[in-house]
Amino acid sequence: MSARLPERWVLTWVAHNPDLSFAVLLAACVYVYFALTNGLFATHNTAFAILERFAVLGPIGLSLTLCIIAGEIDLSVGSNAALAAVIVVRFADSLGAFNSLMLALAVSTLIGVLQGLLIAYLRVRAIVLTVGTLMLLRGVALFVAQEKTVSLTDFDVPDFIQTRMLEYFSPASLLCIVLFVCVGLFMTYTKYGREIFAIGGARKEALAAGVGLRRPIVLVFALSGFCAGLGGVVIGLRSGTAQALGLQYLLLAGTVAAFIGGVSIHGGRGGVIGAAIGTLTVNFLDTGLVFDVTPAYMVQLCLGVLLIVVIMFQTGSRVFDLYQKRQASLAESDRRRAELVAKRNRQI
Amino acid sequence: MSALAQILGRGGASRSPMTVALIGVVAAIVLFGALTTPNFLTLFNAKTIIRDAALVGIMGIGLTFVTLSGNFFLLSMKEIAALSIITFAMGMSHSYGFVLSLLATTLVAVAAGAVQGLLIGLGANPIVVTLGAAGLFYGVASWWSDNLVVAFRRPNDAEWLGTGSTFGLPNITIAFILIAIIAEFVLRYSNFGREVFLIGANRAAGKATGHENLPMAIKVCTIAAVCAGFVAVAFAAQISSAQANYFSSEFGSSGDMTMSVIATVMVGGNAITGGFGSTLRTSFGAIFIAVVDNMMVLRGYTSGPRILSVGLIIVVSIAVFALARRGRRSVE
Repeated sequence: MSARLPERWVLTWVAHNPDLSFAVLLAACVYVYFALTNGLFATHNTAFAILERFAVLGPIGLSLTLCIIAGEIDLSVGSNAALAAVIVVRFADSLGAFNSLMLALAVSTLIGVLQGLLIAYLRVRAIVLTVGTLMLLRGVALFVAQEKTVSLTDFDVPDFIQTRMLEYFSPASLLCIVLFVCVGLFMTYTKYGREIFAIGGARKEALAAGVGLRRPIVLVFALSGFCAGLGGVVIGLRSGTAQALGLQYLLLAGTVAAFIGGVSIHGGRGGVIGAAIGTLTVNFLDTGLVFDVTPAYMVQLCLGVLLIVVIMFQTGSRVFDLYQKRQASLAESDRRRAELVAKRNRQI
Repeated sequence: MSALAQILGRGGASRSPMTVALIGVVAAIVLFGALTTPNFLTLFNAKTIIRDAALVGIMGIGLTFVTLSGNFFLLSMKEIAALSIITFAMGMSHSYGFVLSLLATTLVAVAAGAVQGLLIGLGANPIVVTLGAAGLFYGVASWWSDNLVVAFRRPNDAEWLGTGSTFGLPNITIAFILIAIIAEFVLRYSNFGREVFLIGANRAAGKATGHENLPMAIKVCTIAAVCAGFVAVAFAAQISSAQANYFSSEFGSSGDMTMSVIATVMVGGNAITGGFGSTLRTSFGAIFIAVVDNMMVLRGYTSGPRILSVGLIIVVSIAVFALARRGRRSVE
């Protein structure tokens, strides 16, 4: 009995977390595939490179995960990240790297708060508003960058944030991991985090139960803006350059990460651990494809197919669930009718 | 502008004082700009504006069907166009001639639209599906063309569409006007048009009366994709070459065709949740954005402020229309 305990524990965990187990399985499959086909993939250096990519895509995936948990989607993450990158690079020389980093994060968080306020106050869907801000923020970023590619002159900061420590980590990826842990604790153990889950999964019920819409929406978009800004800052500081019109690919990659991580488009499901695993899967995929010298558009093609497959899988299981529920309720009403008929027959 | 205001005024509850005031302010700014910008109020410039609006406008008209039927919008408009433009240019460069190339492009566009429509109709979220499809189509277009420019020889039999003109109007402008008129008639007077509005306004009611969203989603997505394919053909005919990233980098003021197209739908004031709006609104939205853009070009602004102002126009129009419809629609 005691020997079988770990096995049972795993089975119970899988039964309780189907989405997460799917994500883990997918991540493992992608990793094993590339490890088997490319001898250089399963090495310490590649693990470091993957975590470096994780430091960029992680915050973006987290940002989209949070929004989708709240039942909304933030299409402006790419623009927000680009703006943060432009700000941090442009002002790094005049204000110092740390101050410009703080400025960039403050601006992207503020943008998130404003978006949240507008969505809550105007009662529009986030998709609608963020399509507008997507374009608006590109304009702002172009304005800040004065329509040029901005670049750092002092490369101490890029060198610092890519310093390799503890074999696998760098300051950037450690920062990203800290962010994941903090947001995870916030979402699981605070009232505010649970409110975000509530308005996503069952908005009408949450409203009826007295959860206001305004606070969780503003909060989730503030968090999303902060995360997007952090992703942009890391990219900007690491490469030392930033373009106002760049980073468009982040939306697709982040969405794929979020959906692999087990969020549902109807909101209320998923979590921070899922976001981390989803992002790692995407990182495995694009690192592995780069190893095999695949052009960037093929990565995009793969991500697109992956997203469609995951969303269709989700839709299919939902449609199947609804069908089963309907069949069950039809069978139940048939049974009751038969009972009634039998009762009446007895009375006659 | 007065035409726009008149159309807006028809929207019942949109005659709130705040909306009227905001529209007045916008009209005043545009009027002021029109009077003070040199070379703005000329017949030649008016033609330029409509020609600029044409390509985005045609795609916007296609997308309006999707939006009105309650399926939000396709984030893959420019990628459908990219796939179509590569198909067309491949056909032309292998000298299959205009008609065959056009036919092949139409087939590709129909297939691209129908597949997305099928997935959306099965109940998948339109935004996510089309985001994935965008990556897929762009990847296929780049892979097919090796990410190179596909050029075809001039003179060719496609030039009449791209650069030709009839009665002093460019053929693309004429196509825009014709498509706008046809789309408006279809939407207003045909059974199909009424079905679009019904399903968009109330999907449950549509379903209860036998109008499922599945065939509707396939139809509207195909319409949008064919419009995107037509724009791609017209654009390729203009410059006799094609590359997968033509619609992502070098197009218009914003550098992103999909966003410009969605902007025309939104600025026109179509209800994003479906059921209310018209293709005429989208056409006016396209022309309005083209007017503002043109005015800023004439005043010597660079692309930064232009993108900024288009973004502002979208956000402000979302706010205005949301406030105007307030009370008529619930939170969802």
